[in-house]
Amino acid sequence: MPALTIDKARKEFPSGDDVIVAVDDVDLSVDDGEFLVLEGPSGSGKTTLLTLAGALATPTSGSIRLGDVELGDLEGTERSAVRRDRIGFVFQSVNLIPFLSARENLLAVRQLGGGRLDAAARDRADELLEDLGLGGRGDNVPDELSGGQRQRVAIGRALMNDPDLLLVDEPTSALDSELGRQVVELLRDEVDRRGVAAIMVTHDDRVTDLGDRIVRMVDGALVDD
Amino acid sequence: MSIAVRELRRRFGQFLPVLVAMTLLVVLLVVLGAFLDGLSMSQTGVLRAQGDRLLVLSDDADLAPARSRLPDGTVEALQDVAGVDQVGRLSTVATTAARADRVTDVVLVGYDLATDVVPEPPASGEAVVDATVAELVDIEVGDTLAIGPEGQQLTVTAFVDDVAQGSPTVWVATDDWLELAATVNPTERPVPQAAVVGGDVQPDDLAAGLDGIDVATVDQVIAADDVVTQQSSTFQGIIGVTFVVTLLVVALFFVLLTIERIRLYAVLKAIGARTRDLVTGLAVQAVVIAVLAVVIGIALGIGLTLLVPPDLPLVIVPTRLAVLAVATVAVAVLGALGTLSRILRIDPADAIG
Repeated sequence: MPALTIDKARKEFPSGDDVIVAVDDVDLSVDDGEFLVLEGPSGSGKTTLLTLAGALATPTSGSIRLGDVELGDLEGTERSAVRRDRIGFVFQSVNLIPFLSARENLLAVRQLGGGRLDAAARDRADELLEDLGLGGRGDNVPDELSGGQRQRVAIGRALMNDPDLLLVDEPTSALDSELGRQVVELLRDEVDRRGVAAIMVTHDDRVTDLGDRIVRMVDGALVDD
Repeated sequence: MSIAVRELRRRFGQFLPVLVAMTLLVVLLVVLGAFLDGLSMSQTGVLRAQGDRLLVLSDDADLAPARSRLPDGTVEALQDVAGVDQVGRLSTVATTAARADRVTDVVLVGYDLATDVVPEPPASGEAVVDATVAELVDIEVGDTLAIGPEGQQLTVTAFVDDVAQGSPTVWVATDDWLELAATVNPTERPVPQAAVVGGDVQPDDLAAGLDGIDVATVDQVIAADDVVTQQSSTFQGIIGVTFVVTLLVVALFFVLLTIERIRLYAVLKAIGARTRDLVTGLAVQAVVIAVLAVVIGIALGIGLTLLVPPDLPLVIVPTRLAVLAVATVAVAVLGALGTLSRILRIDPADAIG
């Protein structure tokens, strides 16, 4: 069974008397351990597709399944729990909690939803930081880290709860080309090592070769590349 | 330690404005409460000194002791009621007390029964005196006071505290009071105003079979006092408005804080935070800020009451401070929860893009 199965997903937004079709009957599946690159011009619907896959929004029609869980059937608390426990997000603007240290940013994911910060959680956070080359920076707050280090902390946060699906939005947009490639290589390694399914939205042609598969999106629809 | 508490510790400066505002409001509440209690207590000392005894007044007095004229034979009739252990007369009249060239307004109290506050009635020609009078006219035990327009001399035998009734009080035996009251108001025959009854007896049992009287507890008589109730309602109104202002200050602060944090909350929701987690975090921060404001505000408020001139009737009552503290924390939580609808509206999808 694919980690993610998108079946005829459509997302419409009202715009005055008109309707904008942001995602137009998209079919897509991503397997465990597959690193899918989603590219396309601005406004093509990539980010909207990512929000649907991430249970951040519901499709107007169609189906989105994470494993055997139909995301459209989930209500508020259940959706929060799926996002927390089964999906990892890496945001374009990193979005770390600014007053927490790198380690605490990872642990925060565990605390949400009333989880306990036990020794296993602390060990997991330290292990992730070590794996991501941030072993000595766990106590630093985001302002004390470089752009690349912050992005790596964000990757660690996304992996903290051992998700089934990793969703990555423009991870290189704020980084220079060398650092950007390093970060995506790191992501690629983590996907391979942990067998997690991943979708990375990017405009950056310099890193698309790191994906297992490249899918192009234009005007809300997937097109053959 | 929760994320909310960490934020409080590490970004304390962000919360400083609301802490300062709440602390000042708590100081105001402490001082207003002290004025309310001080004014109330300074009007009711004679009544409160009677403890849990019952008061019997004439039924045309509307529970106002100063207007009451006890019908003849009432005291004797009350002594015959089953369960009654003690009956004494209690009367007051406004007059003056003088020592050398210093004169002050006083309330002359005639009484028969000792209480937890005042000792047994002194002998004829002697008086138990409110300690405030001692400060005003500079007297000590053994000195004499000139009472009323004829300056009748009374020897001071003891001082008592917290017995003011609008003015400081001078306590004499009822028989002396009847003589002195006649000099204060020569056109009216002095009559005992109220009876004080102790024992295992209910108000209805006392009133049954006696015509022309009302029976009430001390609290009921105090509650019927127009001056006390007007002062109380005025101050309660000001205190209520202050709480509303506190609520608005806290609500406004947390609304602004939430607006500033919309992006952060969207991210937290996106990575799995429930609305409940975010609201709980705000409530925890509101409670911590409120508790700090209460502790600092009460300390400053008490300090302020110690600095004001002693003739201002300010009294700190612990139970009022406890109520104030609980109410302030509750109002802070309520104010913080005012952001609930905004937090509910935050779309986790805003974290992307």
